[in-house]
Amino acid sequence: MSQVNSIVLENVSKQYRRDDFVIPVLAGLDLRIAEGEFLALMGPSGSGKTTLLNLIAGLDYATDGQVIVHGQDLGELSDSEITRWRSENVGFIFQLYNLIPVLTAFENVELPLLLTNLTRKRRRQNVMTALKAVGLEGREDHYPRQLSGGQEQRVAIARAIVTDPYLLVADEPTGDLDRNSAEEILDLLQQLNRDFNKTIVMVTHDPLAAKRAGRELHLDKGKLVKNIELRPEYDADSVSAARSADHQSIQETAS
Amino acid sequence: MKFLGYILRNARRSPVRTFLTMASTTVSLFLTMVLLSYFTVNDAVADSIKLLNRIVTMSSQGLAQPVPIARVREIAALEGVKAATPFSWYGGKFNEEVMPFAQFGVDPSTIWEVYDELSVPEEQKKAFVEKRDGAVIGRRLAQDRNLKVGDPLPLKQDLYPVDMNLTVVGIYDGTPDRDLRMCFFNWDFLNEELKSRANGQMADNAGVVIAKVASADLMPTLSKAIDASYANSDTPTRTQTEEAFAKMFSEMFGDLKGMIRWISLAVLVSLLFVAGNAMAMAMRERTTEMAVLKAIGFRRGLVVTLVLAEAVLVAGLGGAIGTLGAKVFFDLVDLGKYTAGMLPFFFVPWSTALIGLGASLFIGFASGLLPAIQSARLSVIDGLRKVV
Repeated sequence: MSQVNSIVLENVSKQYRRDDFVIPVLAGLDLRIAEGEFLALMGPSGSGKTTLLNLIAGLDYATDGQVIVHGQDLGELSDSEITRWRSENVGFIFQLYNLIPVLTAFENVELPLLLTNLTRKRRRQNVMTALKAVGLEGREDHYPRQLSGGQEQRVAIARAIVTDPYLLVADEPTGDLDRNSAEEILDLLQQLNRDFNKTIVMVTHDPLAAKRAGRELHLDKGKLVKNIELRPEYDADSVSAARSADHQSIQETAS
Repeated sequence: MKFLGYILRNARRSPVRTFLTMASTTVSLFLTMVLLSYFTVNDAVADSIKLLNRIVTMSSQGLAQPVPIARVREIAALEGVKAATPFSWYGGKFNEEVMPFAQFGVDPSTIWEVYDELSVPEEQKKAFVEKRDGAVIGRRLAQDRNLKVGDPLPLKQDLYPVDMNLTVVGIYDGTPDRDLRMCFFNWDFLNEELKSRANGQMADNAGVVIAKVASADLMPTLSKAIDASYANSDTPTRTQTEEAFAKMFSEMFGDLKGMIRWISLAVLVSLLFVAGNAMAMAMRERTTEMAVLKAIGFRRGLVVTLVLAEAVLVAGLGGAIGTLGAKVFFDLVDLGKYTAGMLPFFFVPWSTALIGLGASLFIGFASGLLPAIQSARLSVIDGLRKVV
């Protein structure tokens, strides 16, 4: 069932335990995301979209079912293994940027590279490349407080891509930005998806932001309820296969 | 080393808190060094005189009771004793100063044989013997008071009922670990003054008798023999090595010594809580950042290391300033100048400073341990709150 170089969720359930209460968040969810796909996850608060994003990003384990990303069953990895896996395969973009305020833009972007064996010179090259890719050349010595919100998010994106990960996960990346800055960030994400073939899974409440993705998936009460294809140019074979499978999953859920 | 910059930036993130934590560590360690060094120095001085082969005979009733002067001659006559001298603490005032420096009535003809580690020019030794009101003072005392040979040295009565109008006839010198602030004068002169001007009150007595023994092997036997001789007399004695005599002073504070150690420990423990609280606050403020670090791949061990390194840096640096500051301060400031011979030298030994440094590093480590473990165990999802 699982496809190499793709994200496959099979019959995934997630429950949280709070004291004596068991809170189901996701129930029997099936999902396929092809390599190079830009997917927007939408849904009302509490629908489970962020929980789904956490499972895909390896930040949490499914209670039941399998989460296979890039050929790796995440449920089989220990805490330290999955931490290492994240550092090599996933780039994170947060709504509030979450930059380290005492570090410069350069140092923030360099952080994930400190976990590698790269030389200082090579790290510098990679950081400068990432900053150039997000249009922040010349801002490397600026601290987060010296940057605008949009620029901070660009630094966060540079930090997410500097290790050249397979997958980018973004939780409302434009949720704290004005429209112009949001458009710039969405342009950048599209560019990363198009030019660098990054697989992007983005949670958003913003329909305009979601429209920038290749596909919209809507969740409600822990289930996929709608699959909207937005960008025909993504119709590579693997993407089509993933979409068909998700359509079928949604129809089964509805019936 | 790759993370050093990050650790340093974090330590400077809240400068006031970092400064206060460091300052509390610095002050506490400085004071702890002073308390611990007092006893360490006393013991070190006692150890250093171990090789000088001297025994001290005092009254078995304690230092407040004198020893009859005849004991000096009797002890000096014992086989194995090279020389003996009375050693009477006069405790007079100099000008308007109360307890300005230590003054002792001694035998000018034997004192330099008993204290053979001190050096005095021969002509000054001779003058000390010949001039009844002569006094020989230590080099540092001479420097402190700007005294030179020929200067008058009037001492006013305090313990004894007579004043002593002395004249400096010599200046002795010695190695830095010797007390170079003493004043020796002729015991006979004091005794004559007591007889002529105080009706003989307190006359014919020595405070203690100090004897130079030919070899260390003889000291236990001689000590026992001396005390045995006077056991049934009106004035029984207690004889011990000079090392034991010196240690007796710190042992007089036996309970106090233990209490000070406990107080020092209590200070360090409370310091641990202060530093621990500061680190815990710092980590609480950085919960989201910690979660981000873990999300992007920082493993638990690395998170623990980073937090501990920061805690050790702050507390360790404060402790280093406190301990090494105390070391340097007391190396530069001669405390003996202000303690009237009660504390002829005071310094912070390297061994004590290193213990203090180790303690401050331990405090840093221990204060960071709980916040470090909490940060390492922090769920990324809980830390991010908004998740991802």
